[in-house]
Amino acid sequence: MWTKVFTGFGYWDVVSWILFFLIAAGFMKFIRSLGRSDYKKGTDQDEIYWSGNPVPEDGSDITVPASSAYWGFRKALEPYYRALTGMHTGIATDIVGYYILIVALMAVLILIV
Amino acid sequence: MNLNEHLPALLLAVPLLGAFTAPLFSLGGKFLRNAALLAATFLTLVVAFLLWRHVSAAGVAVYVMGAKSAALTLPSGMKFPIRIILEVDAFSAFMALTGAIASFAGALFSLNYMNRFTGLNRFVSLYCLLTAGMLGMMVTGDLFNFFVFFEVASIASFGLIAFWRDKPEAIEASFKYALVSQVASMFILVAAGALYGKYNILNMAAMGSVLTLGTLEKVALVFLVGALACKCGAFPMHMWLPDAYAEAPSGVTCLLVAVSQASLYGLMRVCFSLYGVTLGSSFLPWVIILLGLASMFFGVSMAVVQHEIKRLMGYHSVSQVGYMLLGLGAGLLVLPDPAALASYGLTAISGGIYHMFNYTMYKALLFLTAGAIYYATGTRDLNEMGGLAKKMPYTTFMFVIAAAAISGLPPFNGFVSKLLIYESVFAIHPALTVVALLTSVLTLASFVKVFQTAFLGPRKFSLSGVKEVPSGMLLGMTVLTVAIIGASLFPTWTLSHLVEPAAKALVDQGAYIGAVMGGGM
Repeated sequence: MWTKVFTGFGYWDVVSWILFFLIAAGFMKFIRSLGRSDYKKGTDQDEIYWSGNPVPEDGSDITVPASSAYWGFRKALEPYYRALTGMHTGIATDIVGYYILIVALMAVLILIV
Repeated sequence: MNLNEHLPALLLAVPLLGAFTAPLFSLGGKFLRNAALLAATFLTLVVAFLLWRHVSAAGVAVYVMGAKSAALTLPSGMKFPIRIILEVDAFSAFMALTGAIASFAGALFSLNYMNRFTGLNRFVSLYCLLTAGMLGMMVTGDLFNFFVFFEVASIASFGLIAFWRDKPEAIEASFKYALVSQVASMFILVAAGALYGKYNILNMAAMGSVLTLGTLEKVALVFLVGALACKCGAFPMHMWLPDAYAEAPSGVTCLLVAVSQASLYGLMRVCFSLYGVTLGSSFLPWVIILLGLASMFFGVSMAVVQHEIKRLMGYHSVSQVGYMLLGLGAGLLVLPDPAALASYGLTAISGGIYHMFNYTMYKALLFLTAGAIYYATGTRDLNEMGGLAKKMPYTTFMFVIAAAAISGLPPFNGFVSKLLIYESVFAIHPALTVVALLTSVLTLASFVKVFQTAFLGPRKFSLSGVKEVPSGMLLGMTVLTVAIIGASLFPTWTLSHLVEPAAKALVDQGAYIGAVMGGGM
């Protein structure tokens, strides 16, 4: 009982989840053990395949930078992000302006409703 | 002398003593200064724990400053209290304990992190002052003193955010924070003054016992809610936050996370204990819910596209505050309806309060890991990072724990509080849960990006000299990791001993008022 959380609509048990992860980890370990271990270390079999080209030595040349991550997501939502980042001008008076605007809006509405 | 009786005052006295004696200890050298910081924050944590234990066993603790007896709230048959009163119920004690853990972890981390800089006597003073201000906001029972502690915390924050004063970005961030904080402070002062002008009372419990909702009270409420929502980082009043969190030293950011929760605490105290059922219409609860939804979604949207690690985490703070506003706003919405409150309202409040604890632990840890990365690599730009997992295995492990917790992955504590919020707000409208779930997915996506770009991938030549951070920094992070793992493995204990008593105390306006108004001779 000390691991069960009742939400009023059901419950959640932490031990069940940990058991699930342990079993899943066991399966993963088993599947990995089925792989071939007789490859020749230090030969081409051990090398990264990089479209047939020599692998650059510096990791910087073969990594996708964070600013390019989720490029498609950002491209698809470009108008949304343009509006959202447009709000974040970083100008101090804008920051205070948004605050005043929200308080004023709330003050007017609370007196009406 | 009964020590328990004086715990509320000690909770403020210890960090204040630390703040004012830090320059003296600094004369004795680095060791004494560091020892003073550690001792002050650790003792504060011990006092916060004892206070929480005392309140759990004996109920609301009241401390009257300057009175013959610490519990003498209404001397000589007076109708209303006039002295400064500290009032600590289970909610306050819970929040103080949470804040004290973050303060201690941040101090432990800062010992090594700040070692290469000068002016550390000022750093220790301001750090202890910020801790005192934060805890003062959590335990005061007086609206004007809430303003005073709010100011103490704000002013200490300005100095700490601009601590690296050779960096123009830090000065700019501090200036923006100062500007918005001072405007918010004025609104709090005006609201407190207006209520004092009408009721001649500043004590929140006493004011709660006589408050009726008229035009003045409504405007005062909006001023208080607006100011506190701004200070806890609710959208669209959050724009100071990513700058301030990014530019402050990471140990300070860890504490600023807890300080933002003190503002959220104040917001809830005003709504539940000062106004309570006199709120009348559902307007304000819906405002809080909508602020929560907007904070969640727009905060995480901004976080996904960031590539500066602390700014990214700063936007996540906005998003996480949204969850708490959503849960607590949902509870406030059904406060006048006992059946709905029992059915799902209390669960929503519990979810919100549990998330306050979880958020403080994992977000503070995330900022510390970001600080560790900055310490080791000299950059906060994710584009310049990569392959750190092999060089910083302990930091990586603790980052993964915190990232999984904030993303709401089971079995971590973030999942439990989010689950309570999802299921309870579903009863109000399914769309609320949908937004919360979508936010969680985007949170995961964002932290997968951080993990992949910073910790995985091939080694970069530019980071060849990187090594694991010193043990003091690891210890600071470990304190928070242990708290996260503990709350994850024992969710029922955490709920029944920490969260639910706090939630019940928050909705029990009668007990909050009674502790002060029933304390006469």
